[in-house]
Order: sequence, then C-alpha cells, then structure tokens
Amino acid sequence: MEMHGYNMPEDLYYEENHFWVKEEGDLLVMGMDDFAQTMAGEIVYVQLPDDGKKLKLGKKFAKIESGKWLGKVFAPVNGELATVNEELETNPGLINDDCYGKGWMYKIKPDDKGEMENLIHGEEAIEKWLVADIEKYAEE
Amino acid sequence: MEAKYDFEKKFREQVLKCSRCGFCQAVCPVYGATLRPALNARGKMLLLKEVMDGTIELNDELIETLFQCTTCASCFENCPSGVEVPEIIKQVRKDMVNIGTCHPAFKGMNEVLEKHTNIYAEDEPEDFERERNKKAECVFFIGCVGAYREDESTLATLDLLDRLKVDYTLIDEVCCSGVLEDVGYEINTRLAETNIERILATGAKTVITGCPYCSRTFNEKAPYAPLKEKGVTVMHISQFLKGFDFGVRTDKRVTYHDPCDLGRHCGIYDAPRNTIRKIASDFVEMPDNRENALCCGAGGGVRGAYAKNSIAMARRRLEQAEAVGADVVLTECNSCVHNLSNAKLRKQKFKIYNTSEFINELMEENE
Amino acid sequence: MKNLTDGLIDMVSFSYDASEHSHRPEAAVWPKTAEEVSRIMSLANRKPVPVIPRGAGTGLSGMAVPVAGGIVLDLSRMNQIVRISIEDRLAVVQPGVVYADLEKALGPYGFFFPPDPASGKVSTLGGNVATNAGGLKGAKYGTTKDYVLRLEVVLPDGRIMKTGAKTMKSVSGYDMTRLFVGSEGTLGVVTEITLKINPKPLCTSTALATFDNLRDAGQAINQIMHSGIIPSALEILGRETLAAINQNTDLNLPEVDAMLLAETDGYTPEETEYQIQKILEVFEANAPKEVKKAETKEEVEELWAARKSAYAVLARIKTHFVLEDVTVPMTQITALLEGIRNISHQHDIQIATFGHAGDGNLHPQILYDGYDTDQVARMEKASADLFELAIELGGTLTGEHGIGLSKAPYMTLEHDPVAMDMMRRLKSMFDPHNILNPGKWPWRGNHGSQIRF
Repeated sequence: MEMHGYNMPEDLYYEENHFWVKEEGDLLVMGMDDFAQTMAGEIVYVQLPDDGKKLKLGKKFAKIESGKWLGKVFAPVNGELATVNEELETNPGLINDDCYGKGWMYKIKPDDKGEMENLIHGEEAIEKWLVADIEKYAEE
Repeated sequence: MEAKYDFEKKFREQVLKCSRCGFCQAVCPVYGATLRPALNARGKMLLLKEVMDGTIELNDELIETLFQCTTCASCFENCPSGVEVPEIIKQVRKDMVNIGTCHPAFKGMNEVLEKHTNIYAEDEPEDFERERNKKAECVFFIGCVGAYREDESTLATLDLLDRLKVDYTLIDEVCCSGVLEDVGYEINTRLAETNIERILATGAKTVITGCPYCSRTFNEKAPYAPLKEKGVTVMHISQFLKGFDFGVRTDKRVTYHDPCDLGRHCGIYDAPRNTIRKIASDFVEMPDNRENALCCGAGGGVRGAYAKNSIAMARRRLEQAEAVGADVVLTECNSCVHNLSNAKLRKQKFKIYNTSEFINELMEENE
Repeated sequence: MKNLTDGLIDMVSFSYDASEHSHRPEAAVWPKTAEEVSRIMSLANRKPVPVIPRGAGTGLSGMAVPVAGGIVLDLSRMNQIVRISIEDRLAVVQPGVVYADLEKALGPYGFFFPPDPASGKVSTLGGNVATNAGGLKGAKYGTTKDYVLRLEVVLPDGRIMKTGAKTMKSVSGYDMTRLFVGSEGTLGVVTEITLKINPKPLCTSTALATFDNLRDAGQAINQIMHSGIIPSALEILGRETLAAINQNTDLNLPEVDAMLLAETDGYTPEETEYQIQKILEVFEANAPKEVKKAETKEEVEELWAARKSAYAVLARIKTHFVLEDVTVPMTQITALLEGIRNISHQHDIQIATFGHAGDGNLHPQILYDGYDTDQVARMEKASADLFELAIELGGTLTGEHGIGLSKAPYMTLEHDPVAMDMMRRLKSMFDPHNILNPGKWPWRGNHGSQIRF
C-alpha cells in the first residue's frame, strides 16, 4: 500500500535496514523495500553468496551497491541461504523496477520461523518506523 | 584564431595528429563493452577537433563520452601517432568544469570532498583494530576504496605487515583527492595538507600505500611535494614487498591483472610478478597482459559515473581469467579488486585478491 | 543496449573514417540480424534515404563517409563467428567479426585467414570483404577476394540473396560473390560471409638487404621473381622513409636508396631456409650495401623493426597525411619509386614510400598540414600526378585501399568508357534509387566534381 509516497505492502515483515521478508512454504523470501531502492538509486551490484551459507541473525551476509552507495545486508533470522535470485547477477536493476516481485534477492531456510515475529510488521508499526526513517534521512 | 580552451592551447597538435586509423578501438575498454565508436579515443579526438574547428560546441551533449574514459592509456600505448589521450581528456574535463559542463557524479564528488574526508562521504571509518598516528618507521596509507569498500582485503594486508614485523602505523588519513584531477577538478589542498601533516607527525620516512593511485598522487602532484622535501619516500605495497620472502607456496593456478595505475602509468610490471612467482608454482598470464592489459573499467571516475558499463568492462577482463583456467586472480589495486569482484559471475569459481591479501591467507593457513 | 541513435557524439564519430573526408549522417542503427538489415533497407528504399554500411571505419579512402547524409548501418554488433569447419576448410562469420578475433579462433586448429590488413586488430571482416582488403602476404596468398566462397547479401530493396557455394569449387552461374567483394557497400549489404581458410605455416625465415642504388634493388626484386620462390613477404622502404625513421627513432638505419625485407614461410625450417637462401643469393648478386639474416627470434624482430615503425613514424611528422596504395607490375617498382621522388620535388611536398614489393603495391605517404591551403593544394596535385604515373606504368589506382571518395575522380584514367558504362549499369540495376553509399565512385555526375582528394 502507498505510505508517505512509498509502496510498503502491509502484509510483509521488515528488517530495520529496509529489507522485506515474507513466507513462502518452508522458506522465507527477502528483498529490498521501495524506500531503500528509492534512496539508493540505480542498483549496480548485488552480492549473491553461495547457497548453503550460514546466516546468523543480525550479522552481515552480503553487500549491495548503487553508483556511490554501499549497503550491507544483515540476516533477518538465523538459518541458511537456500537460493538467490540469479537474474540479479546481470540485471540488478530489477530491484529498482520491481522490488517486491522480479527483484527479490534471497530465499532463506530459517532455523525457526518464529523469529520473524521480531521483525517490523503490522500497518501501524511499519508506518511509525518509516516516518522515523524518512525524517532521519531528510536531515542528512 | 585564438584558442578558446586550455586543452587547445596545450594539446592542439596532439589532437590533430590523431590520424583516425581507429587502432584504439581494438584496445579501448569502453568501446569493448559498448561497441559504440563515439566512446573510443578516436571518437573523443574527433569531437575535440570539431570543437577546435568551431563546428560544434563543448557542451553537455559531449559529457557522455568525454567523462566516460577510464584513462587507462591503452589507446596511447597503441596509438601510431602517439596521441596522449588520457592527458588530453583530463584537461578537457577541466575546461568543461570551467564552463559549467560536468557530469553530476563528478560535481558531486568534488562537493563531497569539500565537506567529508573520503569520496564515499562515509562518516565512520573502519578502525582496523590498530592504533593510529603513532611513531613508526612507515605509514600505511589505505586509500578510500581500501578503507570503505575493500576493508577485508586491507585488514589482511595489515595482518601481513604484522607477520613480516614491519614497524608501521595507520594515520587518520583523508582522501588524497588525486581522483579530482582526473574528473575536471584540482587536488584539494586542505586534504593534502592534512595528510602531509599527519604523515610527518609520525616521523616515518616511508609511506606504503594500499592504492597505486594514491602513491602516484603523492609522488607526482605538486601539493604533495613537501613529502619529498622532508625526505619521505612513497611507494605502493607491491614495491615494498619486493624484497621479502614469505616461505609459503600455492599449487593453485594464479594469474595477474595489471592495474593501469601501476602498469601503463608507472611502468611497474615485473615487481608484482616476481612476488607472485615466489609463492605460486603455476603462474599464467592472461592473453592481454603488461602494456596490453585490459582495464578493469573502474578508473577515471567511470565506476562512479557509469557503473553498469564499468562492471561490463570488468566482465570482459574476467572472461580472460576464466579462459586461462585461473583459480586465483591477483592484482595490486583495491579499485580493480572491487570492480572485478562486483563483476564476477557465480559460475566463475576463481577468487580475486590483492596479492598481499592472498599471501597473508597462505601464511595463515601455514601456521 | 540501444540500437538507434541520432545523438551528436555518435553523428560526429560516424562522419569520419581514416581518410581526410567527413560528412554528417542523420542517424545510425546497430542491426543484429539479416532480417533487421532487410527491414531497414526496404524502408530506406521506399523513402528513399541513403544507407551507408560501416564496419570499423578504418578505410583510407572515405568509403564509409556518409557524403550524402542518411543512415549509417554500423554492422559491428553482428559479431558472431557462426561456424568453423576444418574438415570443410571454411569459416562462416557475421560481418562485424574483427579480423584478429577470427585469427584467435582459428589459432587452436593451426589455421589462419591469410589476407591480413595492417588494421587487422580492428577491421571487421565485413569491411575487409567490402574493400577487398589486402595485406603483407598478398604476394604469396592473394587478397580477400581469393578466399570468399559465399555471401549472404541484403539488396537495396530488402530482398536477401545468397551468392556462391560453400564448396572449394563452383562454376555454377555468374560469379556474383566476386562482384560484391570490393564493391564498397554500393551494391548490397553483406550479412554473412563464408571464407576459405588455410593451414598456418609453422616456420618462417627472414632476411634484409640495403641498396645504395635503387636500380640494384629493382633488379633484386625482378630476380627474386625468377628464382622460383614466392616470399610470404617482400617489403620495401624508400630513402625518405628510412631518413624519417632515423630522425624519430634510435634504430640507426643506413640511409640508402632502398631497403628490402624478405620473409619465407613453410612447415619445416629446411623448407624456409632453402627459400631464404635463394633470396640471399639474389641480394648478394645485386651490389647490396649490407645483407642480414635473422638467426634468432630477437633478430627477426630487429629486422622487422624498421618496416613496422614506418607508418607510425610518418604519422607523427605532420598533422595530416594521405596514405596512397598505387600498384604496378613488379618490373615497374623502381620506375614508380623514381617517379614518386620527382613528384615530391616538383610539388615541394614530403612523400615517403614503403610497401609491398612482392606484389607491386606501394604506399607513398604524403605529409602536409591540413590547415595550410597552399600545402593542401600541392598535396592534391601530387596525388593526381601519382595516379597518372601509376596508370602510365601499367598499374592501378588502388591495390588495397579502394576508390571511395579519394580516387573517384580518377577512375576514368584507369577504366575505358565501355567498362565505366557497364559498371554504372550494374549499379543502377542493383540499386535503382541510389540509396546504398551514394556519392561514391563516379556515378550520377560525381565524376569531375571537385571532391577533395
């Protein structure tokens, strides 16, 4: 749904650095949200680690870059990397074109899906967090 | 007719000596990735000739080609007429900035360096777990790319210096700002003075740089002349490591990518190879090497302003590494490591390192 | 990647080739398939609007310069090697494949494509076919035309045609393949090329001789032809070229009337040595100042150094130059060299000559300042005299660089009125609306028009 000029679907779960997470069968799908892709500008590189990489909650597991910006991707849950969106290797701009669809980034096999509940979710919480971040980045 | 621009005053003869033979097209990394003749050196020289003739204006329409040059100097190396294209490009970019015609990315870079200490406008440098600004024989000067983009490689290089028992210190460094000279601006003297002051404060007589462009800036650019006057020698890490024995070897197939700033611009081809031969029994050259090495695509501000094409250029280089069956691609420049790593496809199983980082890994495994 | 442009930077780069001509096109396209070319051609034919096929733009006669405006068809992105069949002894390529890339692809099979223009690192095979490119090995291996078996061609009306056969021999019908080779993009657009390829000789031998007297060098060339040996390269450098090299390098060459450089090739050292001995005997028999034979790789490079530096040295002396390629029967080479020297004196303009003595193809390089109108006028007169001289000596205007714009005004010197008439008719039959590379050659009243060199 439209939220302060950004498309932020309310049924998704959000990691605080603006990556979304949703359930897909046994796996979790992860990508960049509209706020982040807008702020970053044209994405030129997404690190796609090997499948099976162990993910530790809150630890950096990949990098993402636009022209002059470097983003770090932190694990939203404990688990391992099940697969990555290989299309992003040659066409990282998919994140800008369709960040919730064709621009998905990683699929994660979580140790415990329950950890998702610690992510930002629910319309009210999402809006509060987004507004705070809009203000924070406006200052910079 | 009075020359309108400085490039014309300095390089008129040079521009006219371009005989349009097109030999630069074979080696231009920008052309190789785009197959667009307007972007190779001949295309650029033709535009400048027409500017001098008065048939076209130096304006925004020319930005896309005149600011899309990695200044790798392959064209110059292969030019029958000896046209010094990188120097001409750097000068014309200054002329363009003077008349308010500049790629926004470079205008931004100059502004960033007015306010910040590094090209990425990052505020929190990695601390690299080491004390800074202490008295030491050597200063290790990391450079922006090493500090903010390839910090793992930098950390490994520092570990190697520790293993080799080198007496060095880091300083609270700021960007050398050499890149500004490439993209139409001048070295930022405030930044230069800061670096000089902090280097001299350590009492070090040697500065080792992690970046070949930083060492070129220190050695070649006037604002850094006080270093030489005070008896400080500046060298790139590849030069510093020349005399060491590491006591390790690898069986992996290793190849070497010549960074333009070390190779074509400084003529340093053998020192990095001699070091590699000490540690690798299976060293192979890529088809284009030494004077003919294909540029990784990152230089001259192209990575910042034309990132997609820049990565496409790096991909062409990695195809050569794949073709020679390398397990390890070594180079001596963080910008090259960064761009090549970004370009590496998942199916390409080789690893990309700075040589110092790779040696450190071997020594670590050996312990 | 976008495949269409009318942007200023592209229009400027497509205005030029390696000659001194230039003219702006209106647009440029980068087709990827024969079908795309066909659609562009039928559209252009209906308008009608000029279409100028282009490879790497390394031609020296203005062949790819869009002198009548129109659309540049840059074929360099049709760059796939379709097939290499060693068993059938052929390679099938798209027109944008760079000569050197085909060489790299053939290398592992031990094969090569012999006609090797000096621009081979850049030039495209489509361009080589359209200009019938030659090279250093012309004497022994011929030129591009001797290797083209079959072409796919898009005609100006958009129809796609195949010429020739993919066999080593074929006498089926008119030789339409030969008609298109060297037609400089005036009859059709080549979209696929089938080339005959050769096994690459494994060995070479190299020798060099200098002669105080030009006539002795000329006699040596004649006697080499008698010797039963066809060298894989027989190059000549004239006095002016040797002097220019000395002034600009540290090669320290003897300043003599002529230097001859010979290379023989084959599959065993015995074979190439036998041949080079024959040539050395000829050198020795003709009052050489000096004779050298290369025994090591380094010595081979030393002997070639002067020849290989010639173009670059001469390119740096003045801001402008014209590189000609008049060709005469081998018996007339010394007469041609003497004539060039006279022309140089007469018009007070620097002309340095080098070239392929083995096939009679010389490269007088006329050096001048293009911003000095007087020098330009003298250069133009010298060119005109040079062409007349070549024809008088029983030669041709151009051995390998082509007619284009530069030599269009002189074509009637070489071809009789009946031949000119038949060529004009061929052009109008294939291209009735004159959309393909218009303004080149003496068609439609171009003849006699004052095209600058």
